[in-house]
Amino acid sequence: MNIANTILEEARRGSRARMPRRSLLPVGALVHLGWCSLSYIFLLSPLVVVIGASLNGGGEYASMSFPPQDVTIANYLDIPQRRFESLGLSLALAASAALIGCLIGVPAALGLVRGNLPGKMLMAAVFRAPLQIPAVVTGIAFLQLYYIIGDATGLKMYGSFSGLLVGHAFIAIPYVVGSVTAILQRFDNRLEEAALSLGASRWRTFRRVTLPSIMPGVYAGALYGFMVSFADVPVSIFLSSPHTRTYPVELFFDLEHDFSPTILASATVVIAICLILLMVMQKLVGLETLLRSGKGGR
Amino acid sequence: MNARWNLVLLPSLLVCAILIVASQYVFIRTSFYHDLGMGRTGTELTLTNYIRFFSDSFYLKVLVLTVRVSGWATLLTLLLAFPVAYLIARMHSRFAMWLLAGIVVATFVTIVIKVYGIMIIFAADGWLNRFLMWSGVTDRPYSVFGTEVGVVMGLMHFTLGFGVLLLYSVVHTIPRSFEDAAQIHGATRWRVHWRVVLPLSLPGLTVGALMIFNMCMGAFTSAALLGGGRLFTLPVLVQRVVMMEVQYSMGGALAGVLLVVTLVINLVSIMLLRKLRAARFVVA
Repeated sequence: MNIANTILEEARRGSRARMPRRSLLPVGALVHLGWCSLSYIFLLSPLVVVIGASLNGGGEYASMSFPPQDVTIANYLDIPQRRFESLGLSLALAASAALIGCLIGVPAALGLVRGNLPGKMLMAAVFRAPLQIPAVVTGIAFLQLYYIIGDATGLKMYGSFSGLLVGHAFIAIPYVVGSVTAILQRFDNRLEEAALSLGASRWRTFRRVTLPSIMPGVYAGALYGFMVSFADVPVSIFLSSPHTRTYPVELFFDLEHDFSPTILASATVVIAICLILLMVMQKLVGLETLLRSGKGGR
Repeated sequence: MNARWNLVLLPSLLVCAILIVASQYVFIRTSFYHDLGMGRTGTELTLTNYIRFFSDSFYLKVLVLTVRVSGWATLLTLLLAFPVAYLIARMHSRFAMWLLAGIVVATFVTIVIKVYGIMIIFAADGWLNRFLMWSGVTDRPYSVFGTEVGVVMGLMHFTLGFGVLLLYSVVHTIPRSFEDAAQIHGATRWRVHWRVVLPLSLPGLTVGALMIFNMCMGAFTSAALLGGGRLFTLPVLVQRVVMMEVQYSMGGALAGVLLVVTLVINLVSIMLLRKLRAARFVVA
């Protein structure tokens, strides 16, 4: 045990009456804080800049500058209707993908932790696989699968909501399995035994004791699932037709083909929606407990 | 009691296994046919696409570039993410919630929007470039488009939020008392980090690093937009070949190579971690 060794070693040194050196200026802490601010500036500056630039008035060229000149909300009023439609599609898709991820992922986690089937490692690998398959590969794989299904049965999956949903649920499942597994492994089985011995039925025990205790894990997994689905481009770009474009894909094509200031306004709308979702999350379950129960070192 | 849980597991396992096997089988099989153009493929099994890939230095360079930018992005993401994750996980005040909220929002927002932001920041007449030219660092506007730096930066914007959230839960599993114990016995802060925190978080760090690396290997948006049509990574090439040139089998072959390379790198890393663990270099 390295750590025990270190502690012992330090204890021996400590006995020679060497107190931990404390300098007047906490240099280490300052460097740490500075480094963290750097990370935050790096991470958040594009968002701040987009919000700022979305308020720019004065035509197409000026729209790319920050800080904004001629503050106006004109860009918001000009957002085309189709973008709101694809935003609605994306929100519905992400929510459905998170839900299906839970419906498949929670039983999977329960079975993985408590079952006794042989080959658990392999099964866990199956549930983890969507994380290891590069997203673009998932996209092209499902696209071709839908073509084959279409040829064989006449079912039109490509470019449909259900087609997108299967792909998105596929990448959401591992997050739910991961976070619920993490929480189940720490679960105290005596709680269930107590409920059973006090006369509760198995179903009642599950519903009133087990389920509430794994709920933070379920929420955390669903949140991750929602996030990867709502932000995804590489899978959706293959599976969406011009009529069923998800929001990020719509923005991607707009950016690639014709840039207009309304894109910045639409982007700001999304940032606002994310903030609202976040606040709802915080009110409902508390962000910290939520993420603390997320997938740990596994 | 156990049999019940096995029954619960089976439907999920079946769904996942079918989805994985069916989708992967279809595109890998297609990659062994020949493209006839217009999205049609031949009927004879052939290795043409793979031979084309491994005999053309363009494709090989793309593969090397993809692995290189993903590796850099993973390394830099970990370097930026770990101190933040540690800070938030060890903080006691309400302020930690706000710090966490910033990370979650940044993770929520799609990379496309962040790329807009990067474009504005690095605009030729933007304040950053004006500052750089004024201070004499460069004499002409610095552009990230079509450069590896730009692509790595884009990938980092894609993964950094996730990285912090992942490492946050890793740091959380390390009991604070271990650090206190080492410090009480006289270890400096630096030594505590080096000999206690790092070894304990190494397994979680490896898993996190692999997840970030896999995200980068599959990422398409940032490389497509910031590559500026000059720099291609494998995911960008897959999308171009499939959606624009409608060559499903060549696209399948490119995706197949990407898949195999990613899986091999994952396997090798996990085996290395096992070795380290066996050599008692890593605890837990």
